[in-house]
Amino acid sequence: MTATRQTSGLGFVGQRVMRVEDERLLIGDGHFVADGDPTAVLHAAFLRSPFAHADVVSIDVSAARALDGVVRVFTAAELNARTNLFPPFLMTNGLYAPLFGCLSERRVRHVGDPVALVVATSRAIAEDALELIDVDYEELDAVGSIKAALLGNAPKVWERAKGNVLGDFTDEFGDVAAAFDAADHTIEATLTCPRQTNQPMETRGIVVTVDPDDGHLDVRSTTQAPHFLKWALAALLIDKPTLRSVGDFVRNKERRSAFGAAAKEFVAANRHRLTEQDPRGLLSQVRADRSTLPLMNRIGAGLLAAADYPTVRAGDIGGGFGSKGPVSREEIAIGAAASIMGQSIQWIEDRVENLLDGGQAREEQFRVRVAVDSDGTLRALDVDAIIDQGAYPGFPIPPSVTAKFWKVYMPGPYDFGAFRLRARTVATNKGKVVPYRGPWANETWMRERVIDIVAAELELDPGDVRAKNVLRPESMPPAMITGPTLDETMSAAKTLDHALAMIDRDELVQQKSTAEARGHRLGVGIACYHEAAPGPANFWSSIEPGSDLLLYEDGRAELAADGTIRMYTSQSPHGQSHQTTYKQVAADEFGVSMDDVEIVWGNTDRTQFTLLGTGGSRGGPLGAGVMRVTARNVRDKVAEVAADMLEANVSDIEIVAGNIHVAGVPAKGMTYRDVAAKLAADDGITSGPVLTDQVRYEGVGNGGWSVATHVAWVDIDLETGEVTIPRYVVVEDCGPIINPGVVDGQVRGGVAQGIGAVFYEKHHYDEHATLMTTTYMDYLIPTAMEIPEIEVVHLETLTDGENDARGVGEGGMIGAPAALTNAVSDALGVQVTEQHLPPYRLLELAGIIGPD
Amino acid sequence: MKFPPFTYHRPRSIEEALDLLAEHGDDAKVLAGGQSLLPVMALRLGRPEHIVDIGSIVELATIDVDDDRLRVGAMVRHAEAEGSPRVAERAPLLRAALPHVGHRAIRSRGTVVGSIAHADAAAELPAVCLATNAEIELRSATQSRTINAADFFDGHFTTVAHSDELVTSVRFGTPGTHHAVIEQSRRHGDYAMVGVACQLTIADAIVTSAALAFFGVSSTAVRVAEAEAALIGTDAGPEAIASMRAAVTDVLEPDGDIHATAAYRRHVAGVVAARSIHAALHNEEAAA
Repeated sequence: MTATRQTSGLGFVGQRVMRVEDERLLIGDGHFVADGDPTAVLHAAFLRSPFAHADVVSIDVSAARALDGVVRVFTAAELNARTNLFPPFLMTNGLYAPLFGCLSERRVRHVGDPVALVVATSRAIAEDALELIDVDYEELDAVGSIKAALLGNAPKVWERAKGNVLGDFTDEFGDVAAAFDAADHTIEATLTCPRQTNQPMETRGIVVTVDPDDGHLDVRSTTQAPHFLKWALAALLIDKPTLRSVGDFVRNKERRSAFGAAAKEFVAANRHRLTEQDPRGLLSQVRADRSTLPLMNRIGAGLLAAADYPTVRAGDIGGGFGSKGPVSREEIAIGAAASIMGQSIQWIEDRVENLLDGGQAREEQFRVRVAVDSDGTLRALDVDAIIDQGAYPGFPIPPSVTAKFWKVYMPGPYDFGAFRLRARTVATNKGKVVPYRGPWANETWMRERVIDIVAAELELDPGDVRAKNVLRPESMPPAMITGPTLDETMSAAKTLDHALAMIDRDELVQQKSTAEARGHRLGVGIACYHEAAPGPANFWSSIEPGSDLLLYEDGRAELAADGTIRMYTSQSPHGQSHQTTYKQVAADEFGVSMDDVEIVWGNTDRTQFTLLGTGGSRGGPLGAGVMRVTARNVRDKVAEVAADMLEANVSDIEIVAGNIHVAGVPAKGMTYRDVAAKLAADDGITSGPVLTDQVRYEGVGNGGWSVATHVAWVDIDLETGEVTIPRYVVVEDCGPIINPGVVDGQVRGGVAQGIGAVFYEKHHYDEHATLMTTTYMDYLIPTAMEIPEIEVVHLETLTDGENDARGVGEGGMIGAPAALTNAVSDALGVQVTEQHLPPYRLLELAGIIGPD
Repeated sequence: MKFPPFTYHRPRSIEEALDLLAEHGDDAKVLAGGQSLLPVMALRLGRPEHIVDIGSIVELATIDVDDDRLRVGAMVRHAEAEGSPRVAERAPLLRAALPHVGHRAIRSRGTVVGSIAHADAAAELPAVCLATNAEIELRSATQSRTINAADFFDGHFTTVAHSDELVTSVRFGTPGTHHAVIEQSRRHGDYAMVGVACQLTIADAIVTSAALAFFGVSSTAVRVAEAEAALIGTDAGPEAIASMRAAVTDVLEPDGDIHATAAYRRHVAGVVAARSIHAALHNEEAAA
């Protein structure tokens, strides 16, 4: 296994090593954001709009201010005066990005929109005070669906937008019209997906501690991206007027030259990426809202002038699934309030708040046309897609990014000769849309569902249609028609062939008739996909030119004077087992046990800057990659020192189980502590690092693709619509595996959320945009009782890259909805066109009951 | 999701509790297991000014037999009743219902009588009361009264109990020979979309009495007399079950919500009714 070179003789990489996080978490020793001393801080609660769409006529907070225990009440007007609006981010041509503040002052745009902030000595008192705030709302008609948003007379969610369509993008690859003309058949379908919400076990939370001497903000947060939160707080909290900021910057020679040097280095390193970026995104935004440029100038000036940026620390985090990547309006509000008051404040979101606006996803629809020949050859795909983005775009990743992912991903691992996508993002009066585990996943659902619809129309086997059209290693084109380079060693076809071989067709016939005899129906469904995890470099430039700026990971390894080995990652783990897998990688490189390696994460003062943190399936390929490279570099430096000390040739040095020795003479060995002590003595160092290696890692092996095929067996009770899943198989290939147990866990967790999406979870807004699912009585997350055994087959293609582990966290959720709805379609003999299938809907589809 | 302010009382005797209820009336709520009341307060959907916690009143935590009927006191938790041989023997329908109540952790705190007094139309135990002709025993500082289950439930979350009254116990009715509780819920442990408590008495292979009490289909649990009549005097065979089922779907007019349409509930009411007969006839354990 060249990709997992080992020096320890212990070989942790590739082993099903027990998670080192579990003991701490299971015995209650984890340190989550709410685990601090509640008496040392003030507690915040937000007053939230009960209306989906309304004008705020007046607000009276006097009674709330008078309540015992209330320290301060901020109206939107007060807090917004001390914060910048959220600026547009990832601007793209054809997109309007509404600008908004941390609280809503004149208009509310969804149920739960925050309008005021109470700071009190306890959360309970803060909630009592909320009830004393008198807001006079004038209710407006609300937009509750994509359909309603597109009506000619629809109320406008954003006044400065042309209508409710905020983004409208069309891309075409190959000659779509010609492909439809040439094909034997055109098959059409309209497919819809319901709204879901990322539901981490731990809600969002932030604790801002203010240094009484210098006002420095120390922020503990549930963030997936600590550095981005730090940057956002620095950018959006206003310390002083813009002119003074600029003046301060100009006068501060040291800061000026440091900035100049950093900018020069950045431009030199990224020249081609910067010149590739499309300026039309900014131009169209400025045309739509002229205040954009002054806002960006103000933010820039503030960032330059700020002598002190907050420190952000993330400890243990109880999940996020993407929802804790964006910086929320609440976090900025709490940061501003603490800064203004000079007092420490914590906000721990409750579950109702989390369901209202903690992050929602995937309410999308697709009108699809497929050009196909009678033998099942897929010729072209033509899709008109719409995303219900809710009211406020997530920051920094607006929902339009999903459309950009679709543009690249949609043909999937199949040989469509031509492809066109029109994708629109539509504003409605709902909670904000954030990335959710495989944010683009509905393209796989749509495509895999459509392939089954095609197979049914042509009376072909869905497995055969996939096998016929999947891109195979021997005939794989160098790139997808949408741009990204493909990799013939990492092909979805391999997983598809393996999975199809696991379906015993004779047995299936038998199972179906047995089910029928019991008044049930049984079906099997397949889904096949590839995902950029993190993808080849041109995956990102295919999405948006210049965006491969983000495709690197910084990391650092150090040997401390006391012999401790410390690895610094810019990732922000929240359930992905980073600590375990990074220890495995580093321990192998250093030739020590996992206990000898300390992983440092989550503290912006100690780790290197990144806009991303954990997300985008980067933790395995890039995060572990930089751990490997820096560990190896420090290990090699240690070997050099040891060679000197042992009067040996460095090439003869071996390190096994922490014993540094000349090959064949382990008895005359030394330890990392000995080497560290020698270096410390030589350099007169008593604490801190004696050896450091810091690397910007860009290597992603052969294209960075992960591939998988899912097969689901579904049994439906035709009397009650109750569903069981007698078997579920995932055949996946994510390259060389660091820890099979961790990969299994990621795959199964993703599949469980996919099962949730199809059979249990629907975030239900009524036509007036009132949220019906505000507790777990109504938003149903599957429990262990509803999740079957999930068989995972690892194909584990070994490659010769330095660190060829691929991301695997998102895939389970990408494949499962498609495999499950295909299985339901097979069971009922009906082509399902919606993703969410509660029992009543299954009985309607089966013709057992009529619609209400 | 923090409680609004309230005054907490922990009386040591029934009399003390009744005095508190007499004093505070509409402003007071009785706290037993708290599995329904506390979430309602945390969501600030209810804001009682006084909480009368009856958890320390030892005499309420008893299961006994009175006049051949099983009496369950107001502080008997679901889990205790579930494990009680007396309950299994004297109130097999209650025993059959208990495993369906929430999850095990909920049953460890929640109380049988609390669930009945709470009168959730989708809950199992009010239906068990109707099916067994249970008697609800109430006391206030000034009087005691006993109300038949059929007269107790007034609507969703409402009963005829006055605000100064405490439901001290429930006496479950005479068992039949066969019992079953069947429900259809979205997930294991959820409130039922539709469910039924079924108690039959069968003598010489003929049904002599039948009780079918449905939950989740109306503003209270409901018995369907037409369906019961379709079983009485029959052998509870396929024909009888078919006409019983037809009566169920004919009579019930459930509402739809985000979890189940009205048509689904009506259809599945017939399904669970039929299944409950099969289960009652074939479940030796439930047949007591």
